[in-house]
Amino acid sequence: MRSSVPILAVMLLLGPALHAEPAPPTSEDVAALRREVEDLKRQIQALRDQLRAGLLPEQGPAPAAVAPAPPVPEAPPSPAVPGAGGNAPARAQSLLNPAMSAVLLATGTTSLKRESDSNGFDMSEAEIALQSAVDPYTRVDLFLSFPSGGSPEVEEGFITTLALPGPLQLKGGRFKNAFGKWNGLHTHAFLSADRPNALVNFFGEESLATDGLSLSVLIPNPWDQYIDLFTEVGSALEGTSFNNDRRNLTFLEHLAWFFNTGPNSTLELGLTAARGRAGASETLLGAIDDCGACAGLVPRGELQSDVSGVDLTYKWKPVRMNVYKSFLWQTEALQSRRHLDVLMDPLGTPFLDPQVMNASGGYSHVEWQFAKRWRVGSRYDWSGFPDDDRARERAISAVVRFLPSEFQEIRLQYKRTSRNDEAALRFDGERDDSQIFFQWIPVIGAHGAHKY
Amino acid sequence: MKLRLRMLIPLILTVPALLTADFSAAAEKRLNVVSTLPNFGSIASAIAGDRIDLTVIASGTQDAHFVDPKPSYIVKLRKADLLLVNGLDLEIGWVPPLTQGARTARLMPGGAGYIDCSAGIRVVEIPLSLSRTEGDVHPYGNPHYLTDPLNAEVVAGTIAEALKKADPAGAQAYEDGRKAFVRRLHEALFGKDLVDLAGGSKLSREAQAGTLDAFLDGTSVGGSPLRAHLGGWLGKMQAAKGKAFVTYHKDYSYFAERFGIRVVEFVEPKPGISPSAKHLEELLTRLKQGDVAAILTRPYVEHRSTDYVAERTSVKVLTLPIEVGGAPEATDYFKLFDYTTDQIVRALTGGSPAAGR
Repeated sequence: MRSSVPILAVMLLLGPALHAEPAPPTSEDVAALRREVEDLKRQIQALRDQLRAGLLPEQGPAPAAVAPAPPVPEAPPSPAVPGAGGNAPARAQSLLNPAMSAVLLATGTTSLKRESDSNGFDMSEAEIALQSAVDPYTRVDLFLSFPSGGSPEVEEGFITTLALPGPLQLKGGRFKNAFGKWNGLHTHAFLSADRPNALVNFFGEESLATDGLSLSVLIPNPWDQYIDLFTEVGSALEGTSFNNDRRNLTFLEHLAWFFNTGPNSTLELGLTAARGRAGASETLLGAIDDCGACAGLVPRGELQSDVSGVDLTYKWKPVRMNVYKSFLWQTEALQSRRHLDVLMDPLGTPFLDPQVMNASGGYSHVEWQFAKRWRVGSRYDWSGFPDDDRARERAISAVVRFLPSEFQEIRLQYKRTSRNDEAALRFDGERDDSQIFFQWIPVIGAHGAHKY
Repeated sequence: MKLRLRMLIPLILTVPALLTADFSAAAEKRLNVVSTLPNFGSIASAIAGDRIDLTVIASGTQDAHFVDPKPSYIVKLRKADLLLVNGLDLEIGWVPPLTQGARTARLMPGGAGYIDCSAGIRVVEIPLSLSRTEGDVHPYGNPHYLTDPLNAEVVAGTIAEALKKADPAGAQAYEDGRKAFVRRLHEALFGKDLVDLAGGSKLSREAQAGTLDAFLDGTSVGGSPLRAHLGGWLGKMQAAKGKAFVTYHKDYSYFAERFGIRVVEFVEPKPGISPSAKHLEELLTRLKQGDVAAILTRPYVEHRSTDYVAERTSVKVLTLPIEVGGAPEATDYFKLFDYTTDQIVRALTGGSPAAGR
């Protein structure tokens, strides 16, 4: 094989000569060749210098004579292993501990009603949050509440699936129900110091919450919009509209539909329906107690109670300056339909009259953020009472929120409430009330990010 | 009980139908990549070209710390094969609600599709102790690593590996794309002449080791030191080398190290903390020493503070993008640095910077 190489070389060299007569070179050709030779000389010199300087790669293709030096083979890419950086140990350590945070709620309230129990300063609540993934399939969010003067309790504690097939997510444990927008919020995420009157009248001092299961389904749709359907079932915690008997399950359906109305604004529409059982109302039990001739009356328990709601939230946040400016308009309307007994005493003989009572309520809240740390807002409340269709109250509030940093908030709220006679009966006969709230809320530790 | 069951029947009937519904067009299946920030999107796009469908969540004019986790992003995430994130907790306030909302295991941290682009980056300013008295500190170190173009080389490697894994059929195309990107990056940073002479990898290694200057001065080619061939962004920025700057936020650390500028003070007294009147007065005193070349700020931060100090001194204020799309000129990762370095050099040489606000 080796002996054939010279023969081949000779053939290759002679081949063209045998076939074609070379044309005599013109002076331009000579000049071009001369330039090329000069170029080559320069490149060879450069390569020699590089060799001397140890610049050329030990391995890799030899540089072509005429073409500029080809790119040196790049170093292999770093492995795409999360945590491969020099900070891996810190990350690993942090991931093993749940994110822990504590929220304090210091509240001061002053009211025209001098005898009101809420007047004065109060460390109204402290909340400890522990949040972490359990394993690749689930995570746990635990919120322990230390209410002022009460014993610690699990405010929320639920396990959430991370990887169910399809658009499903299941939550189990104790959780605030997906009823509208405000109900799911913890106090430190409120838009004001107090909860809207309608939510207090319909669900009680605390949010509507359940020990049970919640299934969320992201509904695929041709418009690629966020449509989330929640189905929740469980035993409601103590509240106004639903009793907390374990055998009486509460059912809830909530549909959230989210639109981008522009690059800077969004609109969210929610529809909710909840059904459960309620016992005799506080009002009725109080009235029976007060009435001397009512000893034999036993109100029915476990009567059907429905609460439905619609919520609409508009947010404007300029993409570029979203930290400094925003506007929010949030409105919720609730409707209650409740079966209950009412104490009648037309002829001096008291008796219980079964009735279906309708009540409605809601609020509309606007908030304008005019600087990074400042927001002003106003809320209008209107509300009936699920166990008394004649009682009504209205309120108007002005709120100032100051957030020195992401981890601290100071709220000041003025609220003026007016009630009709029936509603006044529930508040020691006070038809009007003016209150001022002051709240100081710091958050320490790693607190999980809030939803939009 | 009857009533309860009746309530559930429509749901029971609808769910299976919805789960199997597929509204996507029957187009050729391309890899669906979602990037939290525009810079990663630009790099992925340069590597993969038409092989991927790219969605970028944040806009270039937006503060990457404070993007709103709109539920509409959850819908986009659900379709993603890969999610590119900056990591180092930069997006801690908005990516977790999105990944959890997307309820897709592969896009959760640790999942095959969750690509933390900080992998392999030499992170600076990792705090030894953590306290919020220091402001909004990043526990894993400074997350703004893409302000050093050489870190884009590492990120390109990470992204290319992820793309190859997710779409093995395109492995060669992604590798070619990565090489071409890195070659272009080296040429843009060091200048084509120098890369042709010394090789991009060698220059990159020297620059990463902090020995580039010694290397350029100590090596001669054709009788002239290599430094004479330095071009690109580094060549342009020689004019700014050693010059003092004030920046709004602590997001120029990697940039400063690469280009040899000095950041001597911040407009924010502490990361994420708004400047107080007292701090601005202190800043004025510092600026009156006369050595500060310019104040570098971002498109998404307030400009009252910077205007206030600029009005009282002769120091120029430059509003520079940190992300692709942060200025109309910054249409990709290369143009981002073309624009940034142009603006800085123009300000130093007495020209008025283009209105960047």
